[in-house]
Amino acid sequence: MISIDFTLNGRPCRIDVPAHWTALDLLRDGLALNGTKYGCGEGVCGTCTVLLDGEPVRSCLVLAARLRGRAVLTVEGLDRDGEPDRLQAAFARAGAVQCGFCTPGMLLSARALLASNPSPSEQDVREALAGNLCRCTGYTKIVHAVLAAAGGP
Amino acid sequence: MRLHPFALSEPETVPEAVEVLARFDGEARVIAGGTALVPTMRLGLVRPDRLVSLHRVPALSGIRVDGDALDIGAMTSLAALSRHDAVRARWPLLGQAALRVATPAIRSTATLGGNLCYAEAASDPAPALLCLEAQVRVAGPSGERAVPLAGFFTGFYETAVAPGEILTAVRVPAAPAGAGSGYMRFCPRSAEDKPLVGVAALLVLDAAKRVAEVRIALGGAAPTPIRARRAESALGGEPLTDAAISAAAEAAAAEADPLSDLMGSAAYRREMIRVWVRRLLLSLR
Repeated sequence: MISIDFTLNGRPCRIDVPAHWTALDLLRDGLALNGTKYGCGEGVCGTCTVLLDGEPVRSCLVLAARLRGRAVLTVEGLDRDGEPDRLQAAFARAGAVQCGFCTPGMLLSARALLASNPSPSEQDVREALAGNLCRCTGYTKIVHAVLAAAGGP
Repeated sequence: MRLHPFALSEPETVPEAVEVLARFDGEARVIAGGTALVPTMRLGLVRPDRLVSLHRVPALSGIRVDGDALDIGAMTSLAALSRHDAVRARWPLLGQAALRVATPAIRSTATLGGNLCYAEAASDPAPALLCLEAQVRVAGPSGERAVPLAGFFTGFYETAVAPGEILTAVRVPAAPAGAGSGYMRFCPRSAEDKPLVGVAALLVLDAAKRVAEVRIALGGAAPTPIRARRAESALGGEPLTDAAISAAAEAAAAEADPLSDLMGSAAYRREMIRVWVRRLLLSLR
Protein backbone atom coordinates (compact mmCIF):
# COMPACT_ATOMS: atom_id res chain seq x y z
CA MET A 1 0.00 0.00 0.00
CA ILE A 2 1.09 3.56 -0.59
CA SER A 3 -0.14 6.61 1.24
CA ILE A 4 -1.52 9.51 -0.78
CA ASP A 5 -2.00 13.00 0.67
CA PHE A 6 -3.70 15.37 -1.72
CA THR A 7 -6.39 18.00 -2.04
CA LEU A 8 -9.70 16.67 -3.26
CA ASN A 9 -12.37 19.14 -4.32
CA GLY A 10 -10.84 21.79 -2.10
CA ARG A 11 -10.43 19.64 1.03
CA PRO A 12 -7.38 17.76 2.30
CA CYS A 13 -7.61 14.02 1.75
CA ARG A 14 -5.44 11.12 2.81
CA ILE A 15 -5.88 7.54 1.68
CA ASP A 16 -3.82 4.34 1.47
CA VAL A 17 -4.14 2.48 -1.83
CA PRO A 18 -2.32 -0.37 -3.61
CA ALA A 19 0.60 0.88 -5.73
CA HIS A 20 -0.96 -0.40 -8.95
CA TRP A 21 -4.15 1.62 -8.56
CA THR A 22 -4.88 4.45 -10.94
CA ALA A 23 -6.34 7.79 -9.89
CA LEU A 24 -9.69 6.48 -11.15
CA ASP A 25 -9.46 3.39 -8.94
CA LEU A 26 -8.67 5.67 -6.00
CA LEU A 27 -11.67 7.92 -6.65
CA ARG A 28 -14.25 5.24 -7.41
CA ASP A 29 -13.17 2.28 -5.31
CA GLY A 30 -11.16 4.02 -2.59
CA LEU A 31 -13.47 6.98 -1.97
CA ALA A 32 -16.78 5.86 -3.54
CA LEU A 33 -16.84 9.01 -5.68
CA ASN A 34 -18.65 7.41 -8.59
CA GLY A 35 -19.27 10.57 -10.59
CA THR A 36 -16.04 9.97 -12.48
CA LYS A 37 -16.79 7.15 -14.92
CA TYR A 38 -14.79 4.18 -16.17
CA GLY A 39 -15.27 4.11 -19.94
CA CYS A 40 -12.60 2.69 -22.22
CA GLY A 41 -9.76 2.41 -19.69
CA GLU A 42 -7.20 3.45 -22.27
CA GLY A 43 -7.48 7.22 -22.41
CA VAL A 44 -9.62 7.53 -25.51
CA CYS A 45 -13.21 8.20 -24.41
CA GLY A 46 -12.66 10.99 -21.86
CA THR A 47 -15.41 10.16 -19.40
CA CYS A 48 -12.85 9.64 -16.58
CA THR A 49 -11.45 13.18 -17.09
CA VAL A 50 -10.65 15.06 -13.86
CA LEU A 51 -8.62 18.21 -13.30
CA LEU A 52 -5.17 17.82 -11.77
CA ASP A 53 -3.86 21.23 -10.66
CA GLY A 54 -6.39 22.69 -13.10
CA GLU A 55 -5.31 20.63 -16.11
CA PRO A 56 -7.54 17.93 -17.59
CA VAL A 57 -6.12 14.42 -17.26
CA ARG A 58 -7.40 10.91 -17.87
CA SER A 59 -7.75 9.43 -14.40
CA CYS A 60 -7.70 5.91 -15.93
CA LEU A 61 -4.12 6.52 -17.16
CA VAL A 62 -2.64 8.39 -14.20
CA LEU A 63 -1.22 6.31 -11.37
CA ALA A 64 -2.75 7.16 -7.99
CA ALA A 65 0.77 7.92 -6.70
CA ARG A 66 0.90 10.95 -8.97
CA LEU A 67 -1.88 12.69 -7.03
CA ARG A 68 0.38 13.15 -4.02
CA GLY A 69 0.61 16.82 -3.06
CA ARG A 70 -1.62 17.95 -5.88
CA ALA A 71 -5.16 19.30 -6.23
CA VAL A 72 -7.83 17.13 -7.85
CA LEU A 73 -11.21 18.41 -8.98
CA THR A 74 -13.94 15.89 -9.84
CA VAL A 75 -17.54 16.41 -10.90
CA GLU A 76 -18.54 16.11 -7.24
CA GLY A 77 -16.58 19.31 -6.54
CA LEU A 78 -18.29 21.53 -9.09
CA ASP A 79 -21.42 22.60 -7.25
CA ARG A 80 -21.49 25.55 -4.86
CA ASP A 81 -23.27 24.53 -1.64
CA GLY A 82 -25.56 22.20 -3.52
CA GLU A 83 -26.31 24.69 -6.29
CA PRO A 84 -25.12 23.74 -9.78
CA ASP A 85 -22.21 25.81 -11.04
CA ARG A 86 -22.39 27.89 -14.22
CA LEU A 87 -21.49 25.01 -16.53
CA GLN A 88 -23.79 22.51 -14.87
CA ALA A 89 -26.67 25.00 -15.06
CA ALA A 90 -25.91 25.71 -18.72
CA PHE A 91 -25.83 21.97 -19.52
CA ALA A 92 -29.21 21.55 -17.82
CA ARG A 93 -30.75 24.56 -19.60
CA ALA A 94 -29.43 23.49 -23.01
CA GLY A 95 -30.49 19.86 -22.56
CA ALA A 96 -26.84 18.91 -23.15
CA VAL A 97 -27.36 15.51 -21.54
CA GLN A 98 -28.74 12.34 -23.00
CA CYS A 99 -27.58 9.18 -21.23
CA GLY A 100 -25.24 11.29 -19.07
CA PHE A 101 -22.26 8.95 -19.09
CA CYS A 102 -19.94 11.44 -20.81
CA THR A 103 -21.22 14.45 -18.82
CA PRO A 104 -18.70 14.46 -15.93
CA GLY A 105 -15.78 14.45 -18.37
CA MET A 106 -17.42 17.05 -20.60
CA LEU A 107 -17.98 19.36 -17.62
CA LEU A 108 -14.38 19.11 -16.44
CA SER A 109 -12.82 19.55 -19.88
CA ALA A 110 -15.10 22.57 -20.38
CA ARG A 111 -14.14 23.98 -17.01
CA ALA A 112 -10.43 23.74 -17.86
CA LEU A 113 -11.12 25.51 -21.14
CA LEU A 114 -13.03 28.39 -19.54
CA ALA A 115 -10.34 28.84 -16.88
CA SER A 116 -7.68 29.45 -19.54
CA ASN A 117 -9.93 31.00 -22.20
CA PRO A 118 -13.02 32.74 -20.75
CA SER A 119 -14.41 33.72 -24.18
CA PRO A 120 -13.82 30.72 -26.43
CA SER A 121 -14.94 30.47 -30.03
CA GLU A 122 -17.02 27.49 -31.09
CA GLN A 123 -13.85 26.02 -32.63
CA ASP A 124 -12.00 26.44 -29.31
CA VAL A 125 -14.82 24.57 -27.55
CA ARG A 126 -14.77 21.76 -30.09
CA GLU A 127 -10.99 21.39 -29.77
CA ALA A 128 -11.15 21.40 -25.96
CA LEU A 129 -13.82 18.67 -26.03
CA ALA A 130 -12.18 16.67 -28.85
CA GLY A 131 -11.12 13.98 -26.39
CA ASN A 132 -14.56 13.56 -24.83
CA LEU A 133 -16.76 11.17 -26.74
CA CYS A 134 -20.56 11.31 -26.52
CA ARG A 135 -21.94 8.08 -27.94
CA CYS A 136 -25.44 9.55 -27.93
CA THR A 137 -23.78 12.04 -30.35
CA GLY A 138 -25.34 15.03 -28.59
CA TYR A 139 -22.38 17.27 -29.34
CA THR A 140 -24.26 20.30 -30.66
CA LYS A 141 -26.10 21.00 -27.42
CA ILE A 142 -22.96 20.36 -25.38
CA VAL A 143 -21.02 22.91 -27.44
CA HIS A 144 -23.91 25.38 -27.13
CA ALA A 145 -24.01 24.85 -23.37
CA VAL A 146 -20.30 25.63 -22.99
CA LEU A 147 -20.62 28.75 -25.13
CA ALA A 148 -23.66 29.82 -23.10
CA ALA A 149 -21.78 29.29 -19.84
CA ALA A 150 -18.88 31.37 -21.19
CA GLY A 151 -21.21 34.20 -22.17
CA GLY A 152 -23.38 33.96 -19.08
CA PRO A 153 -23.22 35.99 -15.87
CA MET B 1 -10.74 -3.20 -14.83
CA ARG B 2 -7.72 -3.00 -12.58
CA LEU B 3 -4.10 -2.98 -13.77
CA HIS B 4 -2.12 -6.07 -12.81
CA PRO B 5 -0.47 -5.76 -9.38
CA PHE B 6 3.03 -4.25 -9.55
CA ALA B 7 5.47 -2.61 -7.15
CA LEU B 8 6.23 1.07 -7.58
CA SER B 9 9.47 2.97 -7.08
CA GLU B 10 9.40 6.76 -6.98
CA PRO B 11 13.03 7.95 -7.07
CA GLU B 12 13.80 11.63 -6.56
CA THR B 13 17.07 11.93 -8.49
CA VAL B 14 18.39 10.56 -11.75
CA PRO B 15 21.21 8.54 -10.08
CA GLU B 16 18.63 7.05 -7.71
CA ALA B 17 16.41 6.10 -10.66
CA VAL B 18 19.36 4.49 -12.46
CA GLU B 19 20.29 2.62 -9.29
CA VAL B 20 16.72 1.29 -8.87
CA LEU B 21 16.68 0.12 -12.49
CA ALA B 22 19.98 -1.71 -11.98
CA ARG B 23 18.76 -3.28 -8.73
CA PHE B 24 15.60 -4.62 -10.37
CA ASP B 25 17.29 -5.48 -13.64
CA GLY B 26 14.83 -7.07 -16.04
CA GLU B 27 11.81 -6.70 -13.72
CA ALA B 28 11.38 -2.94 -13.71
CA ARG B 29 10.11 -0.62 -16.35
CA VAL B 30 10.27 3.16 -16.47
CA ILE B 31 6.98 5.06 -16.53
CA ALA B 32 6.80 8.74 -17.50
CA GLY B 33 3.31 10.09 -18.30
CA GLY B 34 1.91 6.60 -18.74
CA THR B 35 -0.36 7.51 -21.66
CA ALA B 36 1.25 4.79 -23.79
CA LEU B 37 2.40 2.33 -21.12
CA VAL B 38 -0.84 2.12 -19.11
CA PRO B 39 -3.03 1.14 -22.11
CA THR B 40 -0.33 -1.34 -23.17
CA MET B 41 -0.43 -2.90 -19.69
CA ARG B 42 -4.21 -2.93 -19.70
CA LEU B 43 -4.13 -4.85 -22.97
CA GLY B 44 -1.80 -7.35 -21.30
CA LEU B 45 1.00 -6.72 -23.81
CA VAL B 46 3.51 -5.93 -21.07
CA ARG B 47 3.36 -7.00 -17.44
CA PRO B 48 6.27 -5.49 -15.51
CA ASP B 49 6.69 -6.55 -11.87
CA ARG B 50 7.78 -3.03 -10.94
CA LEU B 51 7.35 0.44 -12.36
CA VAL B 52 9.91 3.16 -11.77
CA SER B 53 7.95 6.40 -12.01
CA LEU B 54 10.01 9.50 -12.82
CA HIS B 55 7.39 12.03 -11.73
CA ARG B 56 9.23 12.99 -8.53
CA VAL B 57 12.59 13.75 -10.17
CA PRO B 58 12.76 17.56 -10.38
CA ALA B 59 15.86 17.45 -12.61
CA LEU B 60 13.78 15.87 -15.39
CA SER B 61 11.22 18.66 -15.64
CA GLY B 62 11.39 22.14 -17.03
CA ILE B 63 12.24 23.92 -20.25
CA ARG B 64 15.34 26.08 -20.35
CA VAL B 65 16.72 28.31 -23.07
CA ASP B 66 20.48 27.83 -22.97
CA GLY B 67 22.11 30.37 -25.29
CA ASP B 68 20.90 29.48 -28.76
CA ALA B 69 19.62 26.05 -27.77
CA LEU B 70 16.57 24.73 -25.98
CA ASP B 71 16.92 22.17 -23.18
CA ILE B 72 13.74 20.23 -22.47
CA GLY B 73 13.52 17.95 -19.45
CA ALA B 74 12.31 14.51 -20.47
CA MET B 75 9.26 14.73 -18.17
CA THR B 76 8.00 17.96 -19.77
CA SER B 77 4.41 17.48 -20.88
CA LEU B 78 3.48 18.04 -24.51
CA ALA B 79 0.95 20.64 -23.29
CA ALA B 80 3.63 22.60 -21.41
CA LEU B 81 5.93 22.36 -24.43
CA SER B 82 3.33 23.64 -26.91
CA ARG B 83 2.41 26.67 -24.79
CA HIS B 84 5.97 27.68 -23.80
CA ASP B 85 6.77 31.22 -25.00
CA ALA B 86 10.28 30.51 -26.30
CA VAL B 87 9.12 27.35 -28.06
CA ARG B 88 6.32 29.24 -29.78
CA ALA B 89 8.61 32.10 -30.78
CA ARG B 90 11.81 30.28 -31.78
CA TRP B 91 10.94 26.60 -32.31
CA PRO B 92 7.37 26.88 -33.69
CA LEU B 93 7.78 23.61 -35.61
CA LEU B 94 8.20 21.70 -32.35
CA GLY B 95 5.33 23.51 -30.61
CA GLN B 96 3.03 22.86 -33.57
CA ALA B 97 3.85 19.17 -33.72
CA ALA B 98 3.41 18.74 -29.94
CA LEU B 99 -0.01 20.38 -30.18
CA ARG B 100 -1.14 17.82 -32.75
CA VAL B 101 -0.73 14.84 -30.44
CA ALA B 102 -4.06 13.30 -29.38
CA THR B 103 -6.28 15.49 -27.19
CA PRO B 104 -5.85 18.06 -24.37
CA ALA B 105 -6.15 15.58 -21.50
CA ILE B 106 -3.49 13.36 -23.11
CA ARG B 107 -1.09 16.23 -23.86
CA SER B 108 -1.30 17.38 -20.23
CA THR B 109 0.06 14.00 -19.13
CA ALA B 110 2.13 12.64 -22.02
CA THR B 111 5.78 13.66 -21.87
CA LEU B 112 8.25 14.48 -24.61
CA GLY B 113 10.74 11.91 -23.29
CA GLY B 114 8.02 9.27 -23.12
CA ASN B 115 6.92 10.01 -26.66
CA LEU B 116 10.46 9.50 -27.97
CA CYS B 117 11.16 6.37 -25.89
CA TYR B 118 7.88 4.77 -26.97
CA ALA B 119 9.30 5.19 -30.51
CA GLU B 120 5.95 5.18 -32.25
CA ALA B 121 6.71 5.31 -35.99
CA ALA B 122 3.90 7.86 -36.41
CA SER B 123 5.05 10.12 -33.54
CA ASP B 124 4.20 13.77 -34.19
CA PRO B 125 7.10 15.38 -32.26
CA ALA B 126 9.76 13.06 -33.71
CA PRO B 127 9.75 14.36 -37.32
CA ALA B 128 9.83 17.94 -36.01
CA LEU B 129 12.81 17.13 -33.77
CA LEU B 130 14.57 15.30 -36.62
CA CYS B 131 14.24 18.44 -38.75
CA LEU B 132 15.59 20.52 -35.87
CA GLU B 133 18.53 18.08 -35.50
CA ALA B 134 17.86 17.55 -31.82
CA GLN B 135 19.97 15.44 -29.48
CA VAL B 136 18.83 13.47 -26.49
CA ARG B 137 20.73 12.81 -23.28
CA VAL B 138 20.64 9.35 -21.78
CA ALA B 139 21.75 8.51 -18.23
CA GLY B 140 22.88 5.05 -17.17
CA PRO B 141 25.11 3.24 -14.71
CA SER B 142 28.25 4.54 -16.45
CA GLY B 143 27.11 8.18 -16.63
CA GLU B 144 25.43 10.35 -19.21
CA ARG B 145 25.82 10.28 -22.98
CA ALA B 146 24.40 12.33 -25.83
CA VAL B 147 22.68 10.62 -28.76
CA PRO B 148 21.72 12.52 -31.92
CA LEU B 149 18.04 11.89 -32.59
CA ALA B 150 19.05 10.80 -36.11
CA GLY B 151 20.63 7.72 -34.49
CA PHE B 152 18.12 7.29 -31.67
CA PHE B 153 15.39 5.23 -33.33
CA THR B 154 16.90 1.82 -34.02
CA GLY B 155 13.87 -0.23 -35.07
CA PHE B 156 10.14 -0.81 -34.73
CA TYR B 157 9.36 0.57 -31.22
CA GLU B 158 13.09 0.33 -30.43
CA THR B 159 15.55 3.02 -29.43
CA ALA B 160 19.20 3.48 -28.46
CA VAL B 161 18.18 3.61 -24.79
CA ALA B 162 19.73 0.44 -23.34
CA PRO B 163 18.16 -1.53 -20.48
CA GLY B 164 18.98 0.33 -17.26
CA GLU B 165 19.20 3.71 -18.98
CA ILE B 166 16.86 6.71 -18.81
CA LEU B 167 16.33 9.47 -21.33
CA THR B 168 16.83 12.65 -19.29
CA ALA B 169 16.59 15.59 -21.71
CA VAL B 170 16.16 16.73 -25.27
CA ARG B 171 18.42 19.47 -26.62
CA VAL B 172 17.26 21.40 -29.64
CA PRO B 173 19.72 23.70 -31.42
CA ALA B 174 18.57 26.99 -32.91
CA ALA B 175 16.90 26.71 -36.29
CA PRO B 176 18.97 28.24 -39.13
CA ALA B 177 18.41 32.00 -39.54
CA GLY B 178 15.47 32.80 -41.78
CA ALA B 179 14.16 29.23 -41.81
CA GLY B 180 10.52 28.54 -42.57
CA SER B 181 9.01 25.36 -41.23
CA GLY B 182 5.82 23.40 -40.96
CA TYR B 183 4.24 20.14 -39.87
CA MET B 184 1.30 18.45 -41.56
CA ARG B 185 -0.31 15.15 -40.70
CA PHE B 186 -2.95 13.05 -42.31
CA CYS B 187 -5.54 11.21 -40.22
CA PRO B 188 -7.97 9.23 -42.32
CA ARG B 189 -10.37 8.55 -39.45
CA SER B 190 -10.42 11.04 -36.60
CA ALA B 191 -8.27 14.02 -35.71
CA GLU B 192 -7.14 12.68 -32.32
CA ASP B 193 -5.68 9.49 -33.78
CA LYS B 194 -2.01 9.04 -34.41
CA PRO B 195 -1.46 10.07 -38.02
CA LEU B 196 -1.29 7.70 -40.95
CA VAL B 197 1.63 9.83 -42.08
CA GLY B 198 3.17 13.01 -40.69
CA VAL B 199 5.51 15.33 -42.55
CA ALA B 200 7.80 18.01 -41.11
CA ALA B 201 10.01 20.32 -43.12
CA LEU B 202 12.41 23.15 -42.46
CA LEU B 203 13.51 25.31 -45.34
CA VAL B 204 15.89 28.23 -45.93
CA LEU B 205 15.60 30.10 -49.22
CA ASP B 206 18.42 32.37 -50.45
CA ALA B 207 17.96 35.85 -51.94
CA ALA B 208 17.32 34.32 -55.38
CA LYS B 209 14.58 32.08 -53.84
CA ARG B 210 16.71 28.97 -54.28
CA VAL B 211 16.74 26.32 -51.56
CA ALA B 212 19.81 27.03 -49.44
CA GLU B 213 18.98 24.45 -46.80
CA VAL B 214 16.22 21.89 -46.50
CA ARG B 215 15.34 19.22 -43.97
CA ILE B 216 12.37 16.89 -44.37
CA ALA B 217 11.33 14.20 -41.90
CA LEU B 218 8.51 11.69 -41.95
CA GLY B 219 6.38 9.84 -39.43
CA GLY B 220 4.48 6.68 -40.31
CA ALA B 221 6.70 6.22 -43.35
CA ALA B 222 9.00 3.47 -42.05
CA PRO B 223 9.38 1.30 -38.94
CA THR B 224 10.78 4.44 -37.25
CA PRO B 225 10.49 8.20 -37.83
CA ILE B 226 13.01 9.08 -40.57
CA ARG B 227 14.73 11.94 -42.38
CA ALA B 228 13.86 11.95 -46.09
CA ARG B 229 17.38 12.57 -47.35
CA ARG B 230 16.70 11.85 -51.01
CA ALA B 231 13.78 14.24 -51.04
CA GLU B 232 16.10 16.84 -49.51
CA SER B 233 18.74 16.20 -52.20
CA ALA B 234 16.10 16.63 -54.89
CA LEU B 235 15.54 20.22 -53.71
CA GLY B 236 18.98 21.48 -52.68
CA GLY B 237 20.16 24.53 -54.65
CA GLU B 238 17.04 24.61 -56.83
CA PRO B 239 14.24 27.14 -56.90
CA LEU B 240 11.03 25.76 -55.38
CA THR B 241 9.24 25.22 -58.67
CA ASP B 242 6.21 22.96 -58.97
CA ALA B 243 8.43 20.46 -60.78
CA ALA B 244 11.10 20.49 -58.04
CA ILE B 245 8.47 20.04 -55.34
CA SER B 246 6.86 17.13 -57.20
CA ALA B 247 10.26 15.53 -57.68
CA ALA B 248 10.99 15.84 -53.95
CA ALA B 249 7.59 14.35 -53.10
CA GLU B 250 8.23 11.43 -55.46
CA ALA B 251 11.66 10.91 -53.90
CA ALA B 252 10.18 10.88 -50.38
CA ALA B 253 7.55 8.31 -51.41
CA ALA B 254 10.24 6.19 -53.06
CA GLU B 255 12.63 6.21 -50.09
CA ALA B 256 9.87 5.53 -47.55
CA ASP B 257 9.56 1.98 -46.28
CA PRO B 258 6.05 2.02 -44.82
CA LEU B 259 4.29 -0.78 -42.98
CA SER B 260 0.78 -2.07 -43.59
CA ASP B 261 -1.60 -2.07 -40.65
CA LEU B 262 -5.28 -1.52 -39.85
CA MET B 263 -4.96 2.22 -40.55
CA GLY B 264 -3.68 1.75 -44.08
CA SER B 265 -1.67 -0.38 -46.46
CA ALA B 266 1.97 0.31 -47.29
CA ALA B 267 0.98 1.37 -50.79
CA TYR B 268 -1.60 3.84 -49.47
CA ARG B 269 0.88 5.28 -46.97
CA ARG B 270 3.48 5.71 -49.72
CA GLU B 271 0.95 7.59 -51.85
CA MET B 272 -0.06 9.79 -48.89
CA ILE B 273 3.61 10.59 -48.24
CA ARG B 274 3.87 11.85 -51.80
CA VAL B 275 0.70 13.93 -51.44
CA TRP B 276 1.53 15.44 -48.05
CA VAL B 277 5.21 16.19 -48.75
CA ARG B 278 4.04 18.07 -51.80
CA ARG B 279 1.34 19.98 -49.90
CA LEU B 280 3.72 20.92 -47.11
CA LEU B 281 6.42 22.16 -49.48
CA LEU B 282 3.87 24.18 -51.47
CA SER B 283 2.75 25.82 -48.23
CA LEU B 284 6.34 26.83 -47.42
CA ARG B 285 7.04 28.40 -50.80
